[in-house]
Parts: sequence; structure tokens; C-alpha cells
Amino acid sequence: MKDIIRQQMSITASSMDVLNQQIQMESKASASYLAMASWCDQNAFGNSALFFYAQAEEERSHMMKIFKFINDSGGNAISPEVTDINHDFSSLEEVFVTALEQEIEVTKAINGIVANAKKTDDYAVENFMQWFIEEQLEEERSIRDILDLFELMGRDGIALKLIDERIKTE
Amino acid sequence: MEVLYTSKFYTLYQAGHERCFYLDLGQKTIRLSFCQFLALRHKVMSISIESHFDSDLNEHGFEMLILCNKEHFFILNTLEVLDLKCLIDHSFSLIEMDAENVFTQ
Repeated sequence: MKDIIRQQMSITASSMDVLNQQIQMESKASASYLAMASWCDQNAFGNSALFFYAQAEEERSHMMKIFKFINDSGGNAISPEVTDINHDFSSLEEVFVTALEQEIEVTKAINGIVANAKKTDDYAVENFMQWFIEEQLEEERSIRDILDLFELMGRDGIALKLIDERIKTE
Repeated sequence: MEVLYTSKFYTLYQAGHERCFYLDLGQKTIRLSFCQFLALRHKVMSISIESHFDSDLNEHGFEMLILCNKEHFFILNTLEVLDLKCLIDHSFSLIEMDAENVFTQ
């Protein structure tokens, strides 16, 4: 039997499904970072706000990278629907802890895609995801470094302002 | 044309020379390009069957399916939706299994 699906699509259907789920996740992460940026802006943490605006852009670029990859491979990329974004945080530290937890979830999802690609011998997807694995290491590290500042400098008054001033915005 | 899978209500055919699929939905048979087939798969697999058992979410237990760039319109009941989900799922599994067999032979 002629394999029409393989003729038209360079990746497996299961890879396409998990990549579409990843698009959804990256999009939600981007929207979530915007909510964090908004909270930081409203609470006078200017550098943190800039950091999260940049993160939001970055997550969106990740989403677009996967989106393009699916379509370029002959698949069907699905534009994501994003709901249930949390806008409430009790402290600056909580914002960064939430950001780290989010990044860890994204890392787990990416590892899942690679595991699925290995299982289905989908080397194109496995190769494509290598960039994301390295990127996630960097993302997690940058937020972990910021969380270390809370341990070093404290969590009250002027310490928060000093932490905000030390956050890299580029 | 080869039959890929036959479910209780529907039959999916593959037309190798045309590189497309035909889906016999009872009332009519529709031609699906590969992209349209993927779009159908997404639409069908996205239908929440749980909503068919909750009158607040889906009062009448029907699903509207608009296919092939709005060329076709179908109204399916719960059993038909379940059957179509089964057809899509099995067809993809069969095609992938077949591809794996070719690869390992």
C-alpha cells in the first residue's frame, strides 16, 4: 500500500500532535510572562517587568519556531487558544518561583517530545528539538540565578528594590 | 482505490494515484487532500465527547462538522462522532504500522 501520509509529511502524526501541544504550552507561557510583567510594572519593579516582557517575546518566538517547523514538514500547525492566565501574585519572589516552575514544566514537555521522537524513530523531530533542550537549560539557569538573589539579599523593603536593580534586562 | 478502514457507519479510502483520501459518510462521499484529512483529524479528535453527556454543554447531543474549506457540512450525533473518532484513530494507526513494516522489511 502506498504511504500517502509519509509522502506528504516528513514527521510522524504522533510527533505532530505533541508539537502542537508544545505550541499551546509555549503560547501559554508567553501569556503568563506578560501577566508577570504587568504585575511587576504595577508594583514598581521596572527591571523585572522588562525581564518578563523579554521572556514573553522569547516564548512566542519558540512557539513560532515550532509552528513553522510543523507546517514546513507538511503537517498541520494549530493556532493555540490560551485561557486561565494567573495575574495574582503575593510577592516578587513568588513571581520568579512561578516562572521557574513554568520553565521546568516546559523542559519536561520538551523531554517528552524527544522521548516520543526516539520511540517512533522520528530523527527529524529529535534533531529539531536539540536546540530547545539547550535553550531550556539557559532559561532555567537565568531564573534560578535571580532566585538566589533573594537568599543573598533578603525579601523585604530595600532588598527587593536592590534585587530588581540587579536583574538583567537584555 | 484501497479501503483503509471501515467503521460501523463510515469507510475511508486511499487513492494512491491521486494522493488523496475519500471518506464515505453515508449520505455522500467526500474527497480529502492530505491537508484536509489532517484538518478533519484535528477537528474530530478535538470534539469533547464528554460534552455530549452534559446537557448544559451540548443540549441536543449533536456536532456540526464543516469540512474541506467549508465545502461540506455534516451534523453528527453522539454515536456517529464516536464512530468517526474510531475511524480516524484506527486509520492513522494502520498507516503508521504499515510504514513501520515497510521500514523493517
